[in-house]
Amino acid sequence: MTTKTIEKNSLIGRRIPKMDAPDKASGKTRYIGDLNVSGQLYGKILRSGRIHARIVRIDTSKAKALPGVHAVITAADVPDQRPIGVNKDHMPLKGDKVRSQRDEIAAVAADSEEIAEEALKLIEVEYEDLPTIFDPRDALKPGAPLINDFKKDNVAMVFDYSHGDVAQGEAESDVVIEDSFELHYVTHCCMGVSGVIAEFDASGNLLLYSNTQVPFLHKREFAELLNIDPGRIRIIQPPIGGGFGSKLDIYPFEPIAIFLARATKRPVKLMFTREEEFLASPTRQPVILTLRSGVRKDGSLTFRTVDTLHDNGAYTSWGATTPFVMMQTFSSLYRVEHCLYKTTAVYTNNPYAGSFRGYGNLQATFAIEQHMDKLAEAIGMDPLEFRLKNAQEAGEVTGQGMHFKTCGFKDCITTAAERSDYQAKRRAYKAAQGAPGSVKRGVGIASMLHVGGGAKIYPSDGCGTILKLDDFAHVTVMTGASEIGQGSETVLAQLVCEELGVPLGSVTVVNNDTDITPWDVGVHASRTTFIAGNSAIGAARKARDKILNAAAKVSNLAAGDLDLRDGFIVRASDGQVIMPLAKMLRSLHFSDKAELVMTTHYYEPPSVHQDKGFKGDVSAAYAWATQVVEVEVDTDTGIVTLLKVWAAHDVGRVLNRLGIEGQIEGGIVMGQGYAITETLMIENGVCKNPNFRDYKLVTAPEIPEMDITFIETMDGEGPQGAKGVGEAPAICMAAAVANAIENATGTRIYKLPFTPENVYRALHPALAEAAE
Amino acid sequence: MSAIQRYLAPTTLEEALDALRESEATILAGGTDVMPQSQAGRLRLQPTLLNIRRIDELGGIALDGASIRIGALATISELLESELINERLPILAEAADHFASPQIRNAGTVGGNVCNASPAGDTLVPLIVLNAEVELASKRDGKVERRRMPLESFFAGPGRTHRAADELLTAIYVPAPAEGFVAHFAKFGTRPALDISAVSVGIGGVWRNGTFKNARVAFGAVAPTPVRGRATEGVLEGSALDAAAIGMAAAAARDEVRPISDVRASAWYRKEMIHSLTKKVLTNVADA
Repeated sequence: MTTKTIEKNSLIGRRIPKMDAPDKASGKTRYIGDLNVSGQLYGKILRSGRIHARIVRIDTSKAKALPGVHAVITAADVPDQRPIGVNKDHMPLKGDKVRSQRDEIAAVAADSEEIAEEALKLIEVEYEDLPTIFDPRDALKPGAPLINDFKKDNVAMVFDYSHGDVAQGEAESDVVIEDSFELHYVTHCCMGVSGVIAEFDASGNLLLYSNTQVPFLHKREFAELLNIDPGRIRIIQPPIGGGFGSKLDIYPFEPIAIFLARATKRPVKLMFTREEEFLASPTRQPVILTLRSGVRKDGSLTFRTVDTLHDNGAYTSWGATTPFVMMQTFSSLYRVEHCLYKTTAVYTNNPYAGSFRGYGNLQATFAIEQHMDKLAEAIGMDPLEFRLKNAQEAGEVTGQGMHFKTCGFKDCITTAAERSDYQAKRRAYKAAQGAPGSVKRGVGIASMLHVGGGAKIYPSDGCGTILKLDDFAHVTVMTGASEIGQGSETVLAQLVCEELGVPLGSVTVVNNDTDITPWDVGVHASRTTFIAGNSAIGAARKARDKILNAAAKVSNLAAGDLDLRDGFIVRASDGQVIMPLAKMLRSLHFSDKAELVMTTHYYEPPSVHQDKGFKGDVSAAYAWATQVVEVEVDTDTGIVTLLKVWAAHDVGRVLNRLGIEGQIEGGIVMGQGYAITETLMIENGVCKNPNFRDYKLVTAPEIPEMDITFIETMDGEGPQGAKGVGEAPAICMAAAVANAIENATGTRIYKLPFTPENVYRALHPALAEAAE
Repeated sequence: MSAIQRYLAPTTLEEALDALRESEATILAGGTDVMPQSQAGRLRLQPTLLNIRRIDELGGIALDGASIRIGALATISELLESELINERLPILAEAADHFASPQIRNAGTVGGNVCNASPAGDTLVPLIVLNAEVELASKRDGKVERRRMPLESFFAGPGRTHRAADELLTAIYVPAPAEGFVAHFAKFGTRPALDISAVSVGIGGVWRNGTFKNARVAFGAVAPTPVRGRATEGVLEGSALDAAAIGMAAAAARDEVRPISDVRASAWYRKEMIHSLTKKVLTNVADA
């Protein structure tokens, strides 16, 4: 008899196609738009035509009379509605007044979308216009109109942070600079538009088919909103066509669909049009930011003072809370002894901002990394050496209390700089600024720090896993963590395979039903691989222990001498097969013991909540990255062409090489769009470009060549050493491009985006002035 | 809820003209303007949808005496690939190469681009530079009648032409350019593909022995219709196309256009880009 042996075969670090890719690529995936439930009606929302106006009268009688219409509701029909949003300042249906273009006034449920749209046209609304605020600076002026009556100063939220004493820092400085930066509106542009299906059963239990990124938090929020027991709400997530943070909050369309379902006693499906997606989904937070920085002649940073004005829009969603992340960049990306940070978020009649990949960090990094170039220039130091001198290292605890247990920051800086030949190019391009010809080249560098091990914002930052093996060694992993296209289900399956020695095809991940999966705080803060990964590993290790303990008894070997490989139980020392895993499972199941292998695990990261001054080690790990970009600037047109990006990322460890490459490439392109092409044009509260013709997403020919390097710091707390990196790649781009434009032309631009007209205007200020 | 009551797909010009005379029709060729415009509610569909794609005589690109005839149904891709166009009217191939995306070029037709009458239509500026004429056919008093008019005077406003409701644009005639004729086109959009021109410039003329004659200049997206640049032509006529002359012409171009501000560009920036593009196009012409 020959003895079969099996070598250890790890999937970690390999190039694994995403498990959902075949269905998505072949068009078989059923997104919410493809999903229809028996008996459903179609919901549509009437939005305000006005920007800020009192609602004098709404007449829905003609709409109600239209054949095929089952319900027309206004605020008057839902007297029990409660406000939503981070400040609870947002009624789903507006009864008293409208505060922005997107505001919901009435909604219809009908037999078809066409009938619902016809009915909307029959609703008569009479308004009385009110004075408006479009510039956030105007919101703070004495006598400014009030957007929300309960906030008499128009201030939606304030953040104050400090460590050290900036006055002392300023006194110790040899050079102090101050600049003002302006960051614009962009929006997520998820390929799948927003939508929901709401359905009550005969007992009054609510089932929501929802694209949310935070099903468990929403379960509780919907329960509060509807004043029902959270236990009666079930959320099922069909495959989600993009999230990027946009689905982190409840928006009015969701309660409205629920109200319509309640009114009609029928399931109601409500899908946005693309135009609505532009008008009524959240934006990235626009910011006006003043940064004052100091440095000594030896190149050490002394202080930073930051003052930001956030245009909150008419209501408060997560955009107002981006200072949580922004202040981390100012306090802790580089070592700085003194830091003072302040944000005021004010109400205006503009669109309101939500959470968006990077969460304020793109805005903060845009300012800080331009200042790093300027400070280096001011003291005559090479910008790369200047950064290395002030960069954080492993072991550091920052003024904000962040503890960097692993830190590949300096490796990121040197790797990106060396691979791009940054220093030589920078010198050559600077020297060529005055040379003839309209096309100039430049290189720019920027770095970032972002949470990479969750973020302890809610009472728990954990994730639960239930894991079971069937009689044939097929593994089902029920995880609270949602898949929103980021590839988490593939990574979770890989991590489970690593523990249980089964092939990837033997793992099913269930991650979309709150009645089945255990609690998770949601997809945000680049946390899923780290938190849900550790949770899945915990559950898998418990199953592994159970299996190996049982196998030890059969094989007369110690459990510690056994291993699971490729679907077999083997001797760890030489890989000799003891028995198939499936056989072991069946013998456990069908023996006197009658046992199934089922385990549970809840992982809570060892991070802490910040104190009232925003100090504390809020994440279990931190991710670092440096990106160098090379651009071409046509000074005759203002067109900025991105030629190449060199990205070096401290990712802890690569789990799925194909997945992480895709995530970094996608993030770079998203950052490129933010920097160069994308802008949601809001003029007097009205969106002027709610379509893909005039809202310029980056298209394939514009995507630059990319050189991506992974710095593997093997984080001790990370799953197999990994850190979260979902948001990281988008963060540096705008800052790096700004620095590259300066290197190419000698002109520094403090305002985004770098569209041709904006760049041309900045390059030819005399021409622009003469025209005005 | 579609307003279309009748769909017709005739195979002869006469049948199509009968249909146009007898009913209010939306003419469908490539559909690359009709479909998105009707879906967005900017184009009202008429009771009859008249598909002219099956009328063979409306197609083709060929020499016709001293002219080059471009059938109304010739696609943008055909312009790009036609040997005759590339040899005799390369400015048209140049424009086709910057036109939308390959998918749209495969479906979109020259006749459609002309009749859509967008001030930013990419074939219109080069066709005006080439002194093209449109041929319009109608059936009146029982027989097919044809008339021609200069393309330059065909446009009445954005989306509006001087085509009568019972007329069909059948072909475009371009006089074969004189010896030494050189023309170039450039459009400015904010990205390399699938962008609508913020402005465009076409310039042609006879460039021989260091002198530029019979200058024709046209601009796109700076007025309600594509327009001739007569002041710029005046500056260019008889010039040596040296740096000073190119600078003067570019300044004249900037001064004579009267663009508007919209989501794609401000009026000021459009004028600046007319200046930049005119310089660029003239440099290309001078290098020929």
